[in-house]
Amino acid sequence: MSTKPFRLNRRTVLRGIGGVTVGLPLLDAMLDNKGEALAQGGAIAKRYGIVFAGQALGGDSWAEDMSQVGGIRKTEAGHFIVPAKVGAGYALTTPLKPLAALQDDFNIVSGMNIPFNTTSADGAMVPPGGAFRDFHGGGASPLLSGVRSTTSNFTAGGPTSDQIVAALPANKGNSLVVRAQPSWYLAGSSYSGRQYISYTAANKPIESQTNPQTVFNSLFGNFKPAAGAATQLADFDRRAELAVLNLVRDRRMALLNKVGKADRLRLEGYFDQINDLQGRVSAMATNQTATCTKPMDPGGAFTTGGNNAGSGGTALETNTGYSDEAKRSEVLVDLIAMAFVCDLTRVATLQITVFQSHMNAYPISQALGTPIRADLHEVGHNGDPTTRGQFPVSLMLSWHIGFYARLVAKLKGAVEGAGTVLDNSAIVFMPEAGHGVQLNDATSPNATHSVQNMCLLVAGRAGGMKPGRHIATKGVHPGTALLAAMKAVGVASDTFGDVKGALPDLTA
Amino acid sequence: MRHLFPAFVIALVGCSGAVGEAGTPGGAGRTGGISGQAPRPGGSGPQVTAPGLKPGNVVPTSLVRRLSQAELDNTIEDILGDVSRPAQKFFVEDEFKPYDNNYPVQAASKSYTDNLREMARDVARRAVADTKNRGAFIPCQPTDPGDAACFRKTIEKLGRRMLRRPLASAEVDAYMPLQLFATENNPTVPHDFYTAVELALRAFLQDPEFFNRVEIGRQTATAGVYALGSFEIATRMSYLLWGSTPDDALLTVADQDGLVSAAGRGTAFDRMQGGARARSQVQRFHSLWLGYRAIPQPADIAALFNAETTKLLDTVIFDAPSAYFDVFTSPRTYLTTALAAIYGLPAPPGGAGWVTYGPTSSRAGILSHGTVLASFSKFSDTSPTQRGILVQTRLMCNIILSPPATVNVDQPPGNPDQDCKIPRYQAHMGQSGCTGCHSQMDPIGFGLENYDMSGRVRKTDNGKLQCAIPGQGNIAGIGAFSGPKELAEKLLGANEIQDCLVRQYLTFALGRTLAAQEDTLVDALRKSMAAGGNRLVAMLRALVTDPSFGLRTLPEVP
Repeated sequence: MSTKPFRLNRRTVLRGIGGVTVGLPLLDAMLDNKGEALAQGGAIAKRYGIVFAGQALGGDSWAEDMSQVGGIRKTEAGHFIVPAKVGAGYALTTPLKPLAALQDDFNIVSGMNIPFNTTSADGAMVPPGGAFRDFHGGGASPLLSGVRSTTSNFTAGGPTSDQIVAALPANKGNSLVVRAQPSWYLAGSSYSGRQYISYTAANKPIESQTNPQTVFNSLFGNFKPAAGAATQLADFDRRAELAVLNLVRDRRMALLNKVGKADRLRLEGYFDQINDLQGRVSAMATNQTATCTKPMDPGGAFTTGGNNAGSGGTALETNTGYSDEAKRSEVLVDLIAMAFVCDLTRVATLQITVFQSHMNAYPISQALGTPIRADLHEVGHNGDPTTRGQFPVSLMLSWHIGFYARLVAKLKGAVEGAGTVLDNSAIVFMPEAGHGVQLNDATSPNATHSVQNMCLLVAGRAGGMKPGRHIATKGVHPGTALLAAMKAVGVASDTFGDVKGALPDLTA
Repeated sequence: MRHLFPAFVIALVGCSGAVGEAGTPGGAGRTGGISGQAPRPGGSGPQVTAPGLKPGNVVPTSLVRRLSQAELDNTIEDILGDVSRPAQKFFVEDEFKPYDNNYPVQAASKSYTDNLREMARDVARRAVADTKNRGAFIPCQPTDPGDAACFRKTIEKLGRRMLRRPLASAEVDAYMPLQLFATENNPTVPHDFYTAVELALRAFLQDPEFFNRVEIGRQTATAGVYALGSFEIATRMSYLLWGSTPDDALLTVADQDGLVSAAGRGTAFDRMQGGARARSQVQRFHSLWLGYRAIPQPADIAALFNAETTKLLDTVIFDAPSAYFDVFTSPRTYLTTALAAIYGLPAPPGGAGWVTYGPTSSRAGILSHGTVLASFSKFSDTSPTQRGILVQTRLMCNIILSPPATVNVDQPPGNPDQDCKIPRYQAHMGQSGCTGCHSQMDPIGFGLENYDMSGRVRKTDNGKLQCAIPGQGNIAGIGAFSGPKELAEKLLGANEIQDCLVRQYLTFALGRTLAAQEDTLVDALRKSMAAGGNRLVAMLRALVTDPSFGLRTLPEVP
């Protein structure tokens, strides 16, 4: 039996599983002597991720050291996310505590502002990179894409940072876009764009995946079984699925030829997706390695909670408006982490909660020891008559950051070359809002509907980033920090939407 | 009745102090300026004439429409006997605008295709394993794994149901190679005749012609107007009336081309009324229309509310048919002991039954049900503004524009911790720049304030005995009222609900916002409903038997 020579170009990115880039896990044999680059001179894959929280940093009309818990008012520092000390060695604030073991692996960038016009609410008068004077929608585009918003619609005026990274030649346009909160939870209305954080272009959102088992099967469904009967079953299943998909694909022209142009445009989209799926199924099976292993099947038992039962009352305690986002987030983080380790994708976004999230905060806060009888949106708006202000807002933020910490820790634990996957990553945590002057009236202080005093967390060491510090800015656009993270993973541009210049501090 | 309100000019600095209140997003939109009738941008072709149409009639445009999750689940249940509601389990939640079948917001995506793949695998595997029910789509007993005749019959039968039309012989041929997976020599992988059926079912489930409604039609003598075939009409009828796929009987009528004539459609319509699917479809329409598809109450209480409303709708529309508007004026309701306790009403004798409201009660009809009274709430309580929006947008078909951008809509007016609710809203409404819009909404809510989110009567604010609720409301341009009964009487007296119901149902039927020229169809249906004793079924029958129901136009594509 002859053995084919091992060729490094097998690592060439394949169109593969789950709508994501499929390559082969990095093997030591592929690396140069230092373990820092491929033997052929190419760079190790860089990963870019965003973990998004649909909440602000502080509560309406409450100063950052003021809280009321269980009816008792307290003045207490350390709950607002921004540490008192700048640089390394700062004391962890309440929201950052889940990152205690990872303090040297991320930077917190604070004090950022999205500009807005304080004298005019006219959409035509919004400054570059600025926010239309209507929260929540007005804040979305400048935060996600660096492009100013001119209406209150939830959209992005250009490609979002993750999609700019995905569009790099090495990443082939592939990304993993997932969301933990599966329902809008309010009956009289709908998401209307609040469920998107990834856009390929202006007003072109990517529909996220909310079904954990579909994410699992899409990413890891064609992992090569070890041996034996499972191999033959996998081969049979794969051949059968290809026959099914080919059958559907082959119906394309017969149907499209019968319909008018408008109908054809709508149907073509579905047939294109079938083609894409067929390509992914027919791609080479992924081999497991010491670090790249098939995660546990999350199963199909995820259900969607009922409609939100409102704030303040005991009705919230009956598990309405909650779909175990905690478990969903945990599963999705684990799948993203392994997808990064296996190089099944290099770009991922996880929207834990949607913009203006009405997920019930009670079951989460109860489990964290301080029950808040309100949905997440109302936590910031004093929805619980007895538990309000900075602490409950920070408690919910810490819950979000816990999943970010889980992702960072998993990447840190995955050896790659001479370092870890985290060394080749830029992982951003992005809350929806800051805490400052209210965007709508441009007057009220300490508002949760604010694009002032915003923060981002950026973990990883890709591109020479130096984590472990609190970087306090003086009102720079958050897009500058995103651009720095994007440049760390290979983006060459010096602009991001309307934003010019990357924040130099991440690598300084 | 269509009202044209003056266009209010809102000062951008109006409603200062962040006291405006917006609706929950989407759907009803946000409070603010009220313009006239909602613009209806939904695509509709030019007015045309075609055989059977009267001058001035319109033929609505139609486009490829994806089945909503509810429609997909009903379809899978009706064809395969699968009651697990798999679409709801697998897919990303539909957008509600306010209906779940709004095709302009539907788009292909990787997410959809991947979930469809998972659902197809799950549904097909369970369907062929269900030896008790699989006979519904496998019409023969195979003699061996490679029984080609039986497989062909299965494809023909299953394909007819899945694609809602007979398959051409060549189309059936395309599925036959799947039988190789039933017969291959592979001792390590279990496989038999049903393996191939499972694969065929997976192919049908992932077929864009299955999960979309595709209408083509045949060019008529009138340019731009296409006549639908009987199978396409069968699909239109079944998804309108049942929210599901045509059954065998309806396809058999279509086989005989029995649905191209209005008379044929009328006959089919009469058979389709009264069953479980027709009832659940009418209920579904109401829950989307009036915003109670998901009720902001614990599940057990929500179930009680739903049961009450379902009973009223079933009774008025199907079981003891009367004028549809009795849904809004009924002096009685069906209570259980548990629901009566929530409402603070006397328990019905025997634990459940019809109860007539007392002579001094301000309750009547669906507007006094917990379903409707719980919807459009905000800030943990009822919202006079939101209830005003509900009445203005859903019952009067007016549009409410967004408030000025500078208004923060996430804070209730005034100081809720200190002040009484009605004076807070009145003070807000009196502010410069706020009055024009909020006077159209809040006074409607004031008239319902004596009913809390549970439908219970209250005399004072929640937790504030010093805050008496007068319960006096007003509909601008129509008049004063107090409570759900008088509200319904005022709206019906002004012909508001009569007109708006038809608009809403037609929106639901067409899967998009109505176009201005479709007013003529609305007017025609309204008249037909009135002529038919104001029965809802009369309106639906008129819609199905209208000449335009068998026709379509295409939108212009640049």
